[in-house]
Amino acid sequence: MAGRLRDLGVEAETRTGEASELLEAWRGADHVVLVDAVETGAPAGTVWRWEGWQINFPTRRSTSTHGLGLSEAITLARVLDRLPHRLRIYGIEGRQFEPGTEVSPEVKLAVEEVVRQITME
Amino acid sequence: MTGRASKTIRVETLARVEGEGSLYIKLMGERVADVKLKIYEPPRFFEALLRGRHFSEAPDITARICGICPIAYQMSAIHAIERALNIRIDPSVRLLRRLFYCGEWIESHTLHVYMLHAPDFLGCQDVIEMARDHRAVVERALRLKKIGNRIVQLLGGREIHPISAAVGGFYKVPTKNQLREMVDDLEWALEASLETVRWTGTLEFPDFEQDYEFVALRHPDEYPFNEGRLVSNRGMDIDAAEYEDHFVEQHVKHSNALHSVVRGRGSYLVGPLARFNLNFDKLPEVAQKAASEAKLRPPVKNPFRSISVRAVELVFACAEALRIIREYEPPALPRVEVANRAAVGQAITEAPRGILYHRYAIDDKGLIIAAKIVPPTSQNQKRIEDDLREYAARLVAWPQEEATWKCEQAIRNYDPCISCATHFLKLTVERAEADGL
Repeated sequence: MAGRLRDLGVEAETRTGEASELLEAWRGADHVVLVDAVETGAPAGTVWRWEGWQINFPTRRSTSTHGLGLSEAITLARVLDRLPHRLRIYGIEGRQFEPGTEVSPEVKLAVEEVVRQITME
Repeated sequence: MTGRASKTIRVETLARVEGEGSLYIKLMGERVADVKLKIYEPPRFFEALLRGRHFSEAPDITARICGICPIAYQMSAIHAIERALNIRIDPSVRLLRRLFYCGEWIESHTLHVYMLHAPDFLGCQDVIEMARDHRAVVERALRLKKIGNRIVQLLGGREIHPISAAVGGFYKVPTKNQLREMVDDLEWALEASLETVRWTGTLEFPDFEQDYEFVALRHPDEYPFNEGRLVSNRGMDIDAAEYEDHFVEQHVKHSNALHSVVRGRGSYLVGPLARFNLNFDKLPEVAQKAASEAKLRPPVKNPFRSISVRAVELVFACAEALRIIREYEPPALPRVEVANRAAVGQAITEAPRGILYHRYAIDDKGLIIAAKIVPPTSQNQKRIEDDLREYAARLVAWPQEEATWKCEQAIRNYDPCISCATHFLKLTVERAEADGL
């Protein structure tokens, strides 16, 4: 997706999703769009859209043994006053997350749809 | 009749993929009746995936096993194949590989010390709560980690999934100026690491020591990254090629992962404590001094103090990176061309969380016919269970939630890579009273 966006003249990067890297990646940026795969139980290819200032994550003790992800990045950014002025998050519902599996046709279509929406912003 | 407390502590993963890891402890009175740690192991899948691929693809394929330590996988793969094919590399390439590892240790140790382990000691729910009360500390961690990222990015060729390291060298090497541009940042990082050692020294550690077999690489001249013999405090001193003669992986009923043990002896510990205890004399003076000031002297046998030992290794990684950058001359031959031939090779390198073993058998076309990968967490798995067997017995009188948290903290001492696909653990504690059991 990042490659598709760059072809269309949008500044885009691929990141691991690790929280501290995300905080650094968007440092100083005013308008940031994040795209990630999600699993909510909806049909594959469903596109979700949230705003950074209003998204809330389920309260839980963060007990990761190995890393902090997107939800921690956004919550930590709020605490450290590092949330971009405008942060939009697109979630694309996936179906298979096992290593080596192909991207499903539904997800490929959703990627194109999200690319279209981002370029219109 | 006296009732005896029976308590079950269960730490379950809520995985994005499948149920990779969980912890189950059952206490009967003050006796630990059962400890079962289950860990999912992505490397098993990758061993199969590697078969039939050309050896030159192994570094990039295995780097995908772990998002936190891809360099370790690249380094073990590259060294195993180079040992198989008897490749000699340029001395500057060797230095760059050490610098690459410095970057990964800085990233990984900073993440674990500050963002995953420290909240346990400060009584914070997580790093987010910690940031509210200790904002400057978290800001320091973010800056330190970014400096590690920068090294990895420069040598790896890109931000994620590094691709520049190769069998025989690097596809692209940095200029002297590119490395020198990092000196100011690394000098700051060295000071921040020293502050990290001082700061972790102020934390309170449970009084808990175990009689471990520590296993780590040892090199005659340097603190270990990529080379050295594998040694232990119980007399082991072997080449990587002998690894499978001395270590055996056992199937256990409760886990689909394999438990690695020293043949004839049992569990062992790999990672910062083992490296520190077996290689203290190879640390630079600045790191030795910082350790002494924090009252860390080998052998450190309290696994909770691993947070401080990781901080000492941060000092080492920053000092070593500065040394390498100051000495660096670009290699005359950044990458040696490697011809196909049938061979077998093994290598062990020091991932941030401990030794990582790779073995490859290659055919005369350079295709991999067999691969074996033993990651550090599967080597520590049995040891974590053994720690919990001792530690959990102290927790009978603790409130349910705290007992569970304490157990989780004990697991976190090992910085385990339970699964890179697993984003968090859900904790469930069950308590029951059983009479006359």
